[in-house]
Amino acid sequence: MTNTLHRRGTPQTLRQDFVLFATPSRSLSPDLPDKMKRFTEICLRHNPLNMAKIENMAMRRVDPRRLKEEMQDQIGITAVFDNPDSLASAIAELKEADLGIPINVSGLLEQVKECCGKAGITRHSVEQSLGIFGKKEKLPPPEIVEINTLCGHGMVSFNLIKKVADEVKLGRMTPEQGAYLLAKPCECGAFNPVRARQVLEALRMKG
Amino acid sequence: MEIDAAKCVGCGNCVPFCTMGAIRVENDVAVVNEDECVECSTCYRCCGPEGLRATFVRGLRRLFRALHLRYDAPLDVCPTGALVPPELKWPRSLRRAFSDPTVTHDSTGMAGRGTEEIKTNDITGRIGPGEAGIVIDLGRPGTGVFFRDIDTMTRALAQLDVFFEPQNPLTHLMNDPQNGSLRKDIANEKVLSAIIELKIKLADLPEVLHLVEKTATALDTVISVGVSTKCDPEGGIPHESICSGAGYPLSLNGKTNLGLGRPVEGMS
Repeated sequence: MTNTLHRRGTPQTLRQDFVLFATPSRSLSPDLPDKMKRFTEICLRHNPLNMAKIENMAMRRVDPRRLKEEMQDQIGITAVFDNPDSLASAIAELKEADLGIPINVSGLLEQVKECCGKAGITRHSVEQSLGIFGKKEKLPPPEIVEINTLCGHGMVSFNLIKKVADEVKLGRMTPEQGAYLLAKPCECGAFNPVRARQVLEALRMKG
Repeated sequence: MEIDAAKCVGCGNCVPFCTMGAIRVENDVAVVNEDECVECSTCYRCCGPEGLRATFVRGLRRLFRALHLRYDAPLDVCPTGALVPPELKWPRSLRRAFSDPTVTHDSTGMAGRGTEEIKTNDITGRIGPGEAGIVIDLGRPGTGVFFRDIDTMTRALAQLDVFFEPQNPLTHLMNDPQNGSLRKDIANEKVLSAIIELKIKLADLPEVLHLVEKTATALDTVISVGVSTKCDPEGGIPHESICSGAGYPLSLNGKTNLGLGRPVEGMS
């Protein structure tokens, strides 16, 4: 899955958007549940905006406040941060914890590299988006696509984003309420509600 | 998705949640365009049932209308629980497997549409020095794709010296990875998106990207393309100069494998 690879936005908005995730390979080590528990605890210490788990080989979005209690045999965890300092601290703690599981970050590459440098890590591999090819005329305005790509699987439909943007413009919904509703279809937990709220606010100002 | 016409009160709440815009309201009942529906079940998951009886809702609505009143219900409910995820048979079952991340993909045993790309490269070494990984995400963002269009792309790619990731669900659906052709019986099935994953020689990157771009113009959808490499000892990105030299600007954001994993015993 390419999930968080194709997140779109300006460098300014991407500065508040990081997805930290652990994806152990299919060849699981016997002590993986303990390692994932420790990974989750480290993420929770740094106030993630959103989280999800892969449990029984299926994705489920979880309220970060309940994740600790709900932890069972999940084999993957995703956590979204909007603060580079939190990310840097989480990466440093993960290095210290030495869990031995593959850990990735989606975000502005230079910022992530900087966080790695602070923790004394040389990055292993990098993946980048080359953008969109094909019938781009099928796509809605960039702000709508920007929110759609916040979900790793594109579960937040263009029509829902347009509908919520209209509700916000009409004053029937606040940008916070709109962002909360837009996060609902995203089961992979990669959706960043803070960025969604900012886009909705910008669309409201635009009229 | 199926809609129980006896229960549906035509509130239209499910309409915007549909990832493919395949639901419309006709004569006060929601109707699904089965050809366009990708069975992602987003409408079902997001519009929880309120447990009301259809006769009660219809009666209330008539009363409100007579009194010139309007009631705006929350957007994320199905008042009568009229949405029914159907039991799917092959090949329609492929729609759900590729479009609903909350179910396990039978061919990979994982949720989602692809494999682990570079996310586990630190323990698998799947993409090594001098190699590049390419992900071609057809139907994304938000447009969807029929397997007939995916087949056009995989057959075009097979003409080059590419290696289709064997654990990718699409590779499982190929008659023969040598020529890239997909099974004929799935051609008219539509999915939210599907990812072709390739491993190529780094030097071949421009040729492959040109082909992907050219082939994409013939498809009735959009494609999001990504490229990955193992970093050099200083953390540099080998594909950067090749992509920009070939006229393909790279995103400023991306995925970074931190390299904190350790190979599991017995794993190549």
